[in-house]
Amino acid sequence: MSRYVTKRILQIIPIILVVSVLIFAIMSLVPSDPITIIMSQTSATAEEIEAARDAAGYNDPFLVRLGNYLKNLYLHGDMGKSFKTGSPVFKDLMSRLPVTFRLAFGSILVSVLLGIPLGVLSAVRAGSLSDRMTMFFTLMLNSMPNFWLALMLVILFSLKLKLLPTNGIGGLEHYILPVIANSVGAVAGIARQTRASVLEVIRSDFVSTARSKGLKERVVIWKHALPNGLIPVITSIGGFFGRLLGGSMVIEMTFSLPGVGSYMINGINNRDYDCVQGAMLWIAFIFAVTMLVVDLLYAFIDPRIKAQYAASSAKKKAKKEAA
Amino acid sequence: MMSDKKKMSAGAEELHESLQPGSFKYIWRHLSHDSGAVVGMLCIAAILIICVLSPYIFKYDYSKISMIDKNALPSKEHWFGCDELGRDIMVRVFYGARYTLSIGVLSTAISASVGVALGSIAGYFGGRFDSILMRALDILQAFPQLVLATLVSAVLGPGLDKCIIALAISGIPGFARMMRANILNVRGQEYIEAAKSIDCSTARIITKHVIPNAISPIIVSVCMGIASSGLNASALSFLGLGVQPPEPEWGAMLSSARNLIRQYPHMAIFPGLFIMITVISLNLIGDSLRDALDPKLKD
Amino acid sequence: MENEKNNKLLEIKDLEVRYRSGGRSVHAVNGVSLSVDRGEILGLVGETGAGKTTIAKSILRILPDHAIQSVSGEIIFDGEDLLKAKNNRMTAIRGYKISMIFQDPMTALNPIMPVNKQIAEGIALHMGVSKREAIERANKMLETVGISSDRGGEYPHQFSGGMKQRVVIAMALACRPDLLLADEPTTALDVTIQAQVLELIANLQKELHTAMILITHDLGVVAGVCDKVAVVYAGEILESGTKEEIFDHPKHPYTKGLFGALPDLSKKVSRLSPIDGLPPDPTNLPPGCPFAPRCPKATDECRQGAIALEALNPDHLCRCIHIDE
Repeated sequence: MSRYVTKRILQIIPIILVVSVLIFAIMSLVPSDPITIIMSQTSATAEEIEAARDAAGYNDPFLVRLGNYLKNLYLHGDMGKSFKTGSPVFKDLMSRLPVTFRLAFGSILVSVLLGIPLGVLSAVRAGSLSDRMTMFFTLMLNSMPNFWLALMLVILFSLKLKLLPTNGIGGLEHYILPVIANSVGAVAGIARQTRASVLEVIRSDFVSTARSKGLKERVVIWKHALPNGLIPVITSIGGFFGRLLGGSMVIEMTFSLPGVGSYMINGINNRDYDCVQGAMLWIAFIFAVTMLVVDLLYAFIDPRIKAQYAASSAKKKAKKEAA
Repeated sequence: MMSDKKKMSAGAEELHESLQPGSFKYIWRHLSHDSGAVVGMLCIAAILIICVLSPYIFKYDYSKISMIDKNALPSKEHWFGCDELGRDIMVRVFYGARYTLSIGVLSTAISASVGVALGSIAGYFGGRFDSILMRALDILQAFPQLVLATLVSAVLGPGLDKCIIALAISGIPGFARMMRANILNVRGQEYIEAAKSIDCSTARIITKHVIPNAISPIIVSVCMGIASSGLNASALSFLGLGVQPPEPEWGAMLSSARNLIRQYPHMAIFPGLFIMITVISLNLIGDSLRDALDPKLKD
Repeated sequence: MENEKNNKLLEIKDLEVRYRSGGRSVHAVNGVSLSVDRGEILGLVGETGAGKTTIAKSILRILPDHAIQSVSGEIIFDGEDLLKAKNNRMTAIRGYKISMIFQDPMTALNPIMPVNKQIAEGIALHMGVSKREAIERANKMLETVGISSDRGGEYPHQFSGGMKQRVVIAMALACRPDLLLADEPTTALDVTIQAQVLELIANLQKELHTAMILITHDLGVVAGVCDKVAVVYAGEILESGTKEEIFDHPKHPYTKGLFGALPDLSKKVSRLSPIDGLPPDPTNLPPGCPFAPRCPKATDECRQGAIALEALNPDHLCRCIHIDE
């Protein structure tokens, strides 16, 4: 198992490496560059712009530029500079990471903590009025654009009731609306999935077996049905986290929160490509690490998956010995 | 809703008896007997019809600026009110349906066909192509879908066509993976073995046995994909990347409404409401399709 | 211990179970009456969908709530009507007084719990012992069914189908129940394993002096193990009696049909004679005898009113009006 964990952690390295190459390649497809944009607003001639581009290395062959980018990135931790503000991208992002962390992880925490119990309650009372209401509302909430919900929440709680700040950064209260707006869809999605999966398990044979042993219904549900029903839910949490991470980007823009996502969008709007590259890389990294944690959690809970890894490593060992 | 659904599907079961599961008629019978799907289809149809006929139905044009009606609140004259340039929001919302729906349908059509083709080849033939494709998908899926779409549209620039391409690319990995898994699953089934044993040609096995059995989960995800791609399109436009104002795309409308939310909150309500109605409708149809195509999943 | 008269362990009277399926009611069990004495084995024989499993699950009251429309009649177990018992009382009985072996061992075990823990759960609950003691007893129980106790901590996926069914048997018998309901315990197993598992059940049944209702569609299994037989068709008992009576003098055309569909190596028959047609739709049962549509002897009279279960002799009941012919 520990070998599997190490292997899985090491797998992240090539992915991030290739992702950084991909981001750089994609961004270099963009026809214009910061120097051209800035200088074309001044009275500089085409020759002067070209000379400046040469000096900045924009006219070097792609591979040379890629090599420089990777060298700076992985040897010096240098993600370049924002041409708009002149400050190093890495430093900018480090100061913005906590905002995105709070928003994204706060949202996934809320989604899991509300979505799973909601789904379980619905499944246990399948067909009842409360179940039907839950299903109706989750369908609605799951289909709402998060930024629109954010606007509606702002209208209600900030403008009408004046309970919470409309936007900006500050104490915890600045995160309440963003986290709600971001997580509502995932709460609904997780609840629906949990319900379906628990419902399937509740009707399976081994739950009948558990009942036939004389276990109390509460024990049957909590000790037998739930742990099995939650396995598929756990595997899907990674996907929901991706959705929340993408959603954070939009929510940060809506609430003017200085996070990684809004940094990226502003970078795109200003054609400040070093910023975009840096922010992208961080998002990919956070996503990869979260998926890893979910994978490990899954393997930890389900003995069948654990056994698969044990079996595959045993098989490999046998192969090696045979060779 | 649940018991309704049960009743419905039982009613449908009676009707199904004479029909072959999986046939178009069978699916249609199921959909038309499921209240959720019927509501969904009616909503989509209504929005589409009003959208197409909007020039003849409404007395205002979606782009007509009228300074007298600037920021007008909802009234008898303008049911949804007017925006900051005095354009009637109801006309704009209905006219704007074409963006969300066409982006959703087209981008999903592209990602589904490319994804299904790649996934089928990888799943059926395996080998080097399969492992290369899987690694490539790993890389693409290192980004959340919306972030990938943002990256692509940052490169392509704003516009309807570019928005479609960005969303199509970001949707390919999901379809490819799903199709590959389905093909692998079907390939292991005994009826494929049986077909091989009676000397069925590879082409015939693929077209008559593998694809029909592997495709039905795809049909469901296409429906759900249109919904999520419509949502993502509005998010992109909201961020200023997809369809640009003054086009009345719902996300773009919300983006301009956001600046005036303190003074004129009514502008922000209706475009979002219609995104929601559209997405709910598509999800309802998708849910019902899933029940029709996979009786095992029915509860 | 107890006198002969008081030997009756279970008596079912007029059990009726209806499922609900999309607005229509499914008549799964229609007025079944039967009884089982202590230590006795009753074979419940019938085709798939005849309502055998529903009878067993009604005894334990583990029918799926969401699908049940109504359950009526009496199920008297040890002097107590289980259909009227409180839920608490039922949990005390399940697994302790009455337990069940399910048809498919592949799905009957919780995939993410070690098998000895699954067995121990019932022991800890009913025998009032500590968890550790319960695990020890569970391991011992595994030895009893022929699985090394070293494997107790393993998960179901690590066992073969036959081994899993042994685990299920160990679980069912762990608290030495008075009555064991075995629902097609060998159907899902390889033919070579079937005999072993059946023998194991029969041996343990004798050892623990447990009464058993053995549900099966396999007349061969009945012949080997049972004391009494009841033939179930469309939720009704068509014929019942001692094994000897039923096997040597089958009277009901359906029972005869079942024997006709069985290969008999001692006779020279070129072709088996299957029963024509299909069992009736349980949502739309014919009036009168449910077997009439397939019965070679059916007359108009059969298709009219309900037909009573008549005693041919104290050991043989049959529900047919054409027996004498």
